[in-house]
Amino acid sequence: MTTASAPKRQKRINWAPYLLILPSLIYLALFFAWPMVQGLILAVREEGALLTVRSEAETDSSVAGQLPRGTQVNILNRQGNPIPPEAVNQGNLLTEIWYKVRGQDAEGQTIEGWTPERRIRVRESDESGAPVSGSVRSILSSSADPLTSIYLEADEGSEVIGKMEARTAVEIIDQATLEVWFQVKGEVANETVEGWVPSRYIRTLGDGAQGRIEEGDTSQFTTRYIQRMVNDRFFWPALRTTLLLIILIIPAQFVLAIIMALVIQADLKGSGIFLYIFAIALGLSDLAVGIVWYSIFTQFGYLNSILQGLGLIDAPLTYLSANTRYWIIIAVWLAEVWRATALVMVIVVAGMQAISREVLEAAEVFGATLWQRVRYIIIPLLRPSLQVALILRTILAFQVFAVVIVLSGGDVMTVLANETYRQYYDLQNFNVAAAYASFILLLSMITSLFYLRAVRTQEEVAA
Amino acid sequence: MADIRIENVTKRFDNFVAVDDISLTIEDQEFVVLLGPSGCGKTTLLRSIAGLGMADEGRISIGGRDVTYLPPRERKISMVFQSYAIFPHMTVYDNVAFGLKMNKFDKNEIDKRVRDASALLHIENMLDRYPSKMSGGQRQRVAVARAIAMRSEVLLMDEPLSNLDALLRLEMRAELKRLLQEIKATTIYVTHDQIEALSMGDRIAVMKEGQILQCDKPETVYDLPSNRFVGGFIGTPPMNFMQGQVQRQNGHVRVRVGDFDVSPTDAMQPLLRSYDGEPILMGIRAENMETLDKPARDALQVEVLVVEPLGSQNLLTVKIGEDLVKVATHPTFRVKPGEDVWLRFPADKIRWLDRDNGKVLYPA
Amino acid sequence: MTTTVESPKATVQVSPEVKAIHRRMRRRQQLSRGLTYLVGILISLWVLIPILFITSMALTTPAEVRAYPKGVLPFIPLSTETIKFFLGSRGIVPGLRNSVIVAVITLVLSTLIAAPAGYALSRFVFRGRDAFRLSILAVRAFPIVILSIPLAVVFLRTGIYDNVYSLALMHTALALPTTILVLSSVFSSIPYELEEAAMVFGCSPGQAFRHVVLPLVMPGIAASAIFTFVLSWNEVFAATILTIQNRTLPAQVLVTLNQSSEPYQFAGGFFMMLPALIFIFYIRRYLFNMWGQVSK
Repeated sequence: MTTASAPKRQKRINWAPYLLILPSLIYLALFFAWPMVQGLILAVREEGALLTVRSEAETDSSVAGQLPRGTQVNILNRQGNPIPPEAVNQGNLLTEIWYKVRGQDAEGQTIEGWTPERRIRVRESDESGAPVSGSVRSILSSSADPLTSIYLEADEGSEVIGKMEARTAVEIIDQATLEVWFQVKGEVANETVEGWVPSRYIRTLGDGAQGRIEEGDTSQFTTRYIQRMVNDRFFWPALRTTLLLIILIIPAQFVLAIIMALVIQADLKGSGIFLYIFAIALGLSDLAVGIVWYSIFTQFGYLNSILQGLGLIDAPLTYLSANTRYWIIIAVWLAEVWRATALVMVIVVAGMQAISREVLEAAEVFGATLWQRVRYIIIPLLRPSLQVALILRTILAFQVFAVVIVLSGGDVMTVLANETYRQYYDLQNFNVAAAYASFILLLSMITSLFYLRAVRTQEEVAA
Repeated sequence: MADIRIENVTKRFDNFVAVDDISLTIEDQEFVVLLGPSGCGKTTLLRSIAGLGMADEGRISIGGRDVTYLPPRERKISMVFQSYAIFPHMTVYDNVAFGLKMNKFDKNEIDKRVRDASALLHIENMLDRYPSKMSGGQRQRVAVARAIAMRSEVLLMDEPLSNLDALLRLEMRAELKRLLQEIKATTIYVTHDQIEALSMGDRIAVMKEGQILQCDKPETVYDLPSNRFVGGFIGTPPMNFMQGQVQRQNGHVRVRVGDFDVSPTDAMQPLLRSYDGEPILMGIRAENMETLDKPARDALQVEVLVVEPLGSQNLLTVKIGEDLVKVATHPTFRVKPGEDVWLRFPADKIRWLDRDNGKVLYPA
Repeated sequence: MTTTVESPKATVQVSPEVKAIHRRMRRRQQLSRGLTYLVGILISLWVLIPILFITSMALTTPAEVRAYPKGVLPFIPLSTETIKFFLGSRGIVPGLRNSVIVAVITLVLSTLIAAPAGYALSRFVFRGRDAFRLSILAVRAFPIVILSIPLAVVFLRTGIYDNVYSLALMHTALALPTTILVLSSVFSSIPYELEEAAMVFGCSPGQAFRHVVLPLVMPGIAASAIFTFVLSWNEVFAATILTIQNRTLPAQVLVTLNQSSEPYQFAGGFFMMLPALIFIFYIRRYLFNMWGQVSK
């Protein structure tokens, strides 16, 4: 064994953890970050709002201006333009076909060149349906040139290499599909824009001299969807109800959760059983819970059965109707407190377990009552847990909708999440639905920030 | 043959140097204790030897085989962990047999070794039990049995007794010592308990801030510490240090401590001459001072501040100059706080230290 | 060292006043304990009685469900008729099947993706670890609604709309953050020393994982999988938005709610609760792993 220079090793980066978190990073980027951004974009961007008008009938020619969707335009001229074959079936684009023909021109010369399909009557096709021969159609209009022009290229702008008389027999050598471009003239904000646009964006009206821009090629920032959301007749009621429910539900949940936690932490015999019972609702969906409370509050439900059984009422009362909105609020409030307190309870119990038993005993030795211990020891020490619980609970509360649908029948009372669902599902307004979703996101973030500031932990206050 | 050679090993965590260019050779079948306060790098060094976290620089060889970059399983070692690391989902038997099974030993051989190891540790009657139902001491025995069942030539122990209560620790200490003499493995034992180190090791390597300050036999480390840290870390109470001033009087060096002159041994004279007129530290252990209850010509009069009767001795705290000094006396020595006693410093028990670098001065 | 020293018996005569104080104290202690029990029992009733109601509705005849006033004694008459009626309704059996398929795919997918990340979080200290942890926590705080709409639009465009598999993809995204955090805490509960011990005694890192870590984390992974299953099973919003023909059970119940009868609704509510009631007993040990660690 030699003791030559001891091998030096550079400190290497350990890639293992990065490899291990990579799948989840990719997944969250794909199915979380990306849709999130898309959702925000959907709410504020109008796809195809503007149509680019070009100075020539070419996709790469200079831009003459932009016309918004829905603009009425005059169609001044049309021209075919080569397009890639894969784009042929796209949208409502108009195409025209040009044939490359060979035949005698008016002067008896044999020429080879391009002419539009409408100028040729096809006589023969091969087995695949492609035309192989035909004849030149006669031009009926008396004012026009009776001869058919043959172009060098499949483009009306190219050089005319000759003219053919009507009924000249021609060989069809080749064909090309062209997209029709329109030369349009339209007005936007008192300014006239004139130029060429592909036909796929235009719906022609009447005799073909008029048209309307159906769809643009450029998206545009818009507040249209947000305005539509705000002006929706359900928006303000939904927002009001959502906030009202949060204000009613959250404090009740926290008081109940802290009481539950105190019972569990009291170290009684069987407190394990209490924990399991209190936690049952942790796994219940808001839909199921809505149905549970519906069974209590419905006209022939348990509440009326019990009240009547006790002789307090003579006939069943109606709770869940448009005339008794406050009962719906109470029912939703009870259902949500019943369902979602378990989550707060678990967080609070976990936080309490972290409080040293000695601290509480010290407080007791120095004469603090139960209330004083809760107020001055437990709650201040629980702040970080409470903060998290508050944020989670509020964000979840913004999303509650099935309970409301079940208990209100869907339209008597509405909340923001329900409106999102309605816009998407019933009205198929994806953009307005996205605006609602973004609004909920915004509210969630504002309340989170509010809690982070308002419920500061002691270290932060000290800092 | 399984000697362990550690050559210039360095291990860093970000900017913190946990092990700083350490070289150490452990002979075959030797028992070396790595001793030091927490954070001194002793566990990191042990883990580098085990292959749990490789050294950044330097090399480690076991029995002449370079193992610096080998994974733990190829190093032919076994180990006892601080918190035992008993597999909770396996019975005691399976725990002890684990290493043997992983190394694909023959079934009968495994059984024989498991039974031998558990007999050595008196756990034969709990082989079917699960660790969750066992006490700390029993788990500790399982951990040791698992390690010795491997019959590796190298045994590493990371503070194996630190999680036991005091009484059990005392009992296990003696038992471990007997066991390790019996199995004759090369052993590295990490601890922060100096009594464990003194009572068990063939040699003690005292570590501080990633470096080995001294590696010697226990009695040497105790009696002739190489520097102030070692003297102050080992022994209960630790070595006393007092400020002194070297003075030369007609060719003879004396050291003034408080208002008392101490005369060093003849062997120390030439060394101390270079410190003429400079401050110096005097180190002496509590039990090496003679305590008298009446004045004597060569004794220093001091006032007793605290008396701590410890049963086997009485520990006095006195003040000499600016320094508080602990003095051990016979338990029958009666004195009350506020009374005076007279101390005598036997010249051969005094260690002289350079005040600036803390090194103990020894004649060449 | 167990020599018991007979402590001298208190020979001081206890005065009647002191005795009275002791008695009062003891009574007060009993009282407060009794009070705590009472509060605990009251809350338990508050939690259990609605469950009892819906269960007894589901397990009786449709006639009894419609009856008024309802009997106070539950399960009378005990019958599977309501359940049978519910299961026989259109779209329910396929909905149940879809729910199970979606939930199973979700739990498999999210466990497979989350387990490595959870392991990395619990075992490695690496640059960006805290950032990763924090963003996982933050992701959990984003509302589902914001995801469902754009995903629906994307799924429509790519032709995988109205498909149980694409719904499972969405549910996996919802479950992933929680699963990562839970699994990381499950892995953290296994001391790394055990893996090291296995490696010292002859295991490769892979073998150490298989022989030592895997058997120990299996119950935790199972609990997390059950949790994911219930999460997917319960999810209504995304399920309703992302499917039309291939609805899951909650989506089917929600969409047909207005046209359905009470026996159908109550049986539906009961069916949706069933897995949750079973699940809470299986994951009770891991309750605090699931949610308790959110504040850390």
